[in-house]
This record gives sequence, structure tokens and C-alpha cells, in this order.
Amino acid sequence: MTETAEATPERPASDGGRGGLKGLPSRIGLYYRQVVAELRKVIWPTRKELITYTVVVLIFVTIMIAYVSLLDLGFSKAVLKIFG
Amino acid sequence: MLTAFAQAFRTPDLRKKLLFTLGVIALFRLGSQLPTPGVDTQAINTCLEPALDEGGIYGLINLFSGGALLQLAVFALGIMPYITASIIIQLLVVVIPRLETLKKEGQAGTAKLTQYTRYLTIALAILQSTALIAIARQPGRLLQGCDLPLIHDVGAFGIITMVSIMTAGTAVIMWLGELITDRGVGNGMSVLIFTQIAATFPQQLWQIKVVEGWFVFIVVCGAGLVLVAAVVFVEQAQRRIPVQYAKRMIGRRMYGGTSTYIPLKVNQAGIIPVIFASSLLYLPALATQIGDPTSQWAIWIQKYFTRGDHPIYMLTFFVLIVFFAFFYVAITFNPTELADNMKKYGGFIPGIRAGRPTEEYLDYVLNRITTAGAIYLGVIALIPMVAIGVLGSSATQQFPFGGASILIIVGVGLDTVKQIQSQLQQRNYEGFLR
Repeated sequence: MTETAEATPERPASDGGRGGLKGLPSRIGLYYRQVVAELRKVIWPTRKELITYTVVVLIFVTIMIAYVSLLDLGFSKAVLKIFG
Repeated sequence: MLTAFAQAFRTPDLRKKLLFTLGVIALFRLGSQLPTPGVDTQAINTCLEPALDEGGIYGLINLFSGGALLQLAVFALGIMPYITASIIIQLLVVVIPRLETLKKEGQAGTAKLTQYTRYLTIALAILQSTALIAIARQPGRLLQGCDLPLIHDVGAFGIITMVSIMTAGTAVIMWLGELITDRGVGNGMSVLIFTQIAATFPQQLWQIKVVEGWFVFIVVCGAGLVLVAAVVFVEQAQRRIPVQYAKRMIGRRMYGGTSTYIPLKVNQAGIIPVIFASSLLYLPALATQIGDPTSQWAIWIQKYFTRGDHPIYMLTFFVLIVFFAFFYVAITFNPTELADNMKKYGGFIPGIRAGRPTEEYLDYVLNRITTAGAIYLGVIALIPMVAIGVLGSSATQQFPFGGASILIIVGVGLDTVKQIQSQLQQRNYEGFLR
């Protein structure tokens, strides 16, 4: 069952990380380079995607804030009338 | 796009969920306005305004309780005790072996942990409400600079009634949150904290206009828009790890042979770290209110932990966010399990052996990506504080959690919209996000 993934001799970019007992600054430097290397492989949203999502979120948030404010206005008036 | 909103309401199943969520939010707001029995509503109303104008600590507390705390409402404590309790339980799971075995047990164990979280919430609620009422019964303590008595009956019976009602209120909030998670849209805890922030957000924004005038107001709004776009940008970013499935014969049929990917978000933890960090930082501010405000530790906290623009405060906030980002990714994403599953179904990452090496590779990528994600979260949460601090205005005091509240609002908004979207797509509608 498990004789699947045949090993390929080379593994890209996954070594390193625990590179021996070098000094702390060089290890931080290595880590930093690895972080940047991973970030380069990240797929960032396109401009169009970004605009659509931003607009949709803004509309949604505005509607919710309006809804909550309206509720609050109504309830606080009612509370003042009943208990005030 | 607006037609999609209408379409969401035209789908019967989704409409039910949306209306349910909106209804729960309405109930939540009602409870946040309803005064606890024995409270003098008129006195509170006359006292509240000067106290709020002062800003500072009141703004902070008011923002995070959605205005309910200072009004001594039935839901005065808000969702905070529940959040604090779940942080504590999740931290304890790592520390206490018995809880860890419970978590590994699967569903039954998780149910047990949820039960513990609820008990802890009630305990925290009793503690907080007792403390809150202990302050409120002395005139001029809760809302300083106002000597009207806020509570009618300061005897034992009145106090016990109020404490039990506030504790019961917190239990109801907890239940409402779980109802939203089960039958509504989005995660209950996030939706409720979103509501709490949304309730005070317009006021806070307006305060900036009143204090600083139109120019700063417009600048702040513009900066807010940029911030929203930035948050959306990073939330959408993914690191895709390719996975190849081996072809294999089972009986007479051919399976597999497809290639997919594992999507790792740059900010895999979402907004949970920000919620956790803010609710932890909110505790010292609350403690000063409960304790003696003139004692040494209270003055120390007031000096360093209630002003959003103090470097120590910002540093603590940043460190907490980074810590919780790693912590939350570690408890929600399990590379070992993922690697095992991939091996079982004949999947592998091209160039990496199945099993241990895959697990190590996933761990490697996740750690690197989360480092960037955590720093992003921390920076976004701090930007408004730093910016307004540099502008040299006193608006920081009115807008203490600027970055955090924008992160929470946008994050919850994005999550919820996406959830609605995926439900729409199940029915072949085009949805909002084309």
C-alpha cells in the first residue's frame, strides 16, 4: 500500500535550517534568507482580486455597522423610555 | 455584486442562516443595553458622557465591551470571559498531560474540553461581575468625577442578585456564540467580538473628528482604507505546496494520478492571535479599575499598559501577537497528521520522500511562512498607534485599539463573506467574488 512516492535523489531548498554550530548572527541571517525564499514562492492576490475583496469587505462591514448602530439607537431609546 | 447579496437572501438555506445570525446579534445588542436590576439608569446616563469625553482608559474598556460594561448592562461582561477562558484552556492543554490526552481522544475529548471552557467562563464571570459591582456600589469609583449613586440597593441581597444576573448574562452570551457557530454564519466568538467593536466604532471615529477636526479625520479614514486593503492582501496570500498523487489500481479501477496543492496561508492563524493578545492586554486595565486606583501597581499599570502609544505597551502587544500566532498555528495545523494522511492515500510532494521528510518539510515551510505572517500581524496592529503617536495628537487615547480593531473587523468580515460565498457556490450561483 505504501510503496508510493519513490524517492528522488535531490530535495530542493529543504536542507539547511540546522546548519551546524555557527554563530548566532549567521544563523539568524540564514533563517531570514529562508523566510524571504519562502515568501518568494507565495502566490499573492492579483490587483483585480484585491479590489473586489476589499470592496466586498467594506460593503459588508458598513452594512453590519449600520445594522448594529440602528439596533443600539432603538434599544437605548426604548431602555430610556422604560427605565429612565 | 450587490445582486449577490440579494441572491444570498434568495437561497432558502442561506437566508435562514443569515437571518438567524442577524437575530442573535440583535438579541446580543438588546442584552448589552438592558440595565441590570437595581441600577439607576438615569444616574449612569448623566455620568457616562463626561467620563467618555475624558477618553483614555474608559475608551479602552468601553470599546472592548461594546459599551455595555460602563452601563452595567445584563451583558456587561460581553464575550471576553469566554475568550479568556478558551485561551487559558488552550494554554493548559499544552502544559497539563491529562488535558492533552483528552484532546487526542477525538470528539469525546474535545466535548469535554469545551465543557471545561464553559465552567471556567462562569468562574471568570462571577469573579469579574463581583469586582465590577464592588466598584460600582461606591459612588464616583466606576465613573470618576461623578458622585451620583449608581446602584439603588447596596445591601447583600441587591449585590447578589446583580452578580448572579451578570453571570447568567455571560452564560447566555456564550450560548449565543455557540449557536452562531452551529447554525449561523461564521465563528460565533469572532462574530460577537466583531459586533462589540462595531457598536463603538462609529463613535470612536467621530470622536477623532470632534477632537482633531476634518483634516485629521479624513487622513485617518484614508489610512484606514489602505489598512483594509493591506489586510485583505495578506489574508489572501497563499504558499501552495504541490502534492502529486500516485496512480494506482484498486480492483479494476484506476485511482489517483492527480496533482493538487496544500494551501498554506501566509497568515495561517487568522485574527485569533490579535483577539487573544488584545483580550489579555485588556485585563490589566480592568484590574486597575477593580483594585485600588491609587496603589502603586495600579499607577504603574496606568502608566505603561493603558496608553496605546507607550513603547512598553506596544512592545508587549507585539510580542504577544507573535507568540499567539505561532501558538495557534501549532495547535491547529498538524504536519505529522497531514504527512501520514498523504502517505496513506499515495500522495507526495515532488522531490520529497513520504513520511518523516514530508513532515519535516511541511514544518520547515510553515515556520518560515508563519514568521512573516506573525510579524505582519504585529506590525498592522501597531501601525495606527505609531502613526497617530507621530502625528502628535491626543487621538490615540480615543482610538486605543485602532489597528487591532481594524484587523478584527476586516478579518471577521472576510471570513464571513467567504463562508457565504462558498455556500452560494454550492448552489452554482456566481457569488460576490468574481
